Amino acid sequence: MTTSNVQTIKVAKSLLENNDLTAANNRKQFTQQQILAINVIASPGAGKTSLISKTIETLQNKTSIGVIEGDIAGIIDTEKVLAAGARDAVQINTGGNCHLEAGMVQQALEHLNLDQLDIIFVENVGNLICPNHWALGEHIKLCLASSAEGSDKPIKYPDIFAASDVIVLNKVDLIEFVDFEREFFYESVRALNTRAPIFEISCRTGEGLVEWTDWILDHHKGLLQTT
Amino acid sequence: MHELSVMASLLETVEEHAHKAGAKKVLSINLIVGERTSFVDDSLLFYFDTLTPGRLSEGATLNIQRTPMRFHCASCDTKYEPIIGHFRCPTCNQPGQITSDGSEFLIESMEIET
Repeated sequence: MTTSNVQTIKVAKSLLENNDLTAANNRKQFTQQQILAINVIASPGAGKTSLISKTIETLQNKTSIGVIEGDIAGIIDTEKVLAAGARDAVQINTGGNCHLEAGMVQQALEHLNLDQLDIIFVENVGNLICPNHWALGEHIKLCLASSAEGSDKPIKYPDIFAASDVIVLNKVDLIEFVDFEREFFYESVRALNTRAPIFEISCRTGEGLVEWTDWILDHHKGLLQTT
Repeated sequence: MHELSVMASLLETVEEHAHKAGAKKVLSINLIVGERTSFVDDSLLFYFDTLTPGRLSEGATLNIQRTPMRFHCASCDTKYEPIIGHFRCPTCNQPGQITSDGSEFLIESMEIET
């Protein structure tokens, strides 16, 4: 006769551990190649592709930028950033997946000419929820909000604002038309995150782009000094 | 949707531990899922049931312990859960600071039959 025993095993592992390990490898590769990697997370329509395109245009003669475009389908954004002057770009179509994962970025890196790049923007799928949980290996997690979406985004999606290294508020030229409550936005963000700088920009008018791109250049210099 | 890849990865980890311990069967799996993670119980359970047939974890119970998001108020020196519409302290109305509470996303433990 066989007897059965029941026992409890302690596991204590993150459910995202596999992704985190791949992300750590990606980050190592970015750092070794002296490429500053930025994960851009925002709602659909906040202006992710515009921010990347304007950054490329503003830094045209100063630095060489590549882009990994994540979308459910299509290559329209890749065409836009190449037209804006991106040195290289690759499209990931997630086929319905609502966020990019580290393994997708790992594969995309094989298609980029890394020797020619100083900075890579990874444009995540438009969504403020799950992209925050899947690390991609970035040095900087960027949360892009826009005035037209309303000032309550940090209240509704606290975790992305809490986890970001930098927050960019786009479409500030529309603030007076869309009842965006700036003070409430800042108070909510600061309850979640005291360390991330907040840049106010307008991709349409160009306001704030120089301050923003100077910050990016400083971070790229910082990366060069540590490697 | 994103709960699918999470559950696939969970089963890999669980079954690796179960095999090492010589399990005949996994009876239950205990997760801690914080409110900040936005993972939904129903979806986690749905994909768990979808992926487990024919595996060691078939028929196991998935227990999900939820933890709330909490802020700290420096004026009152207490932790609080925010009320709808803002993050201010419900007692003194001063802005607080978020804590790490509610960001857990762990396989804590599991029960197996050997």
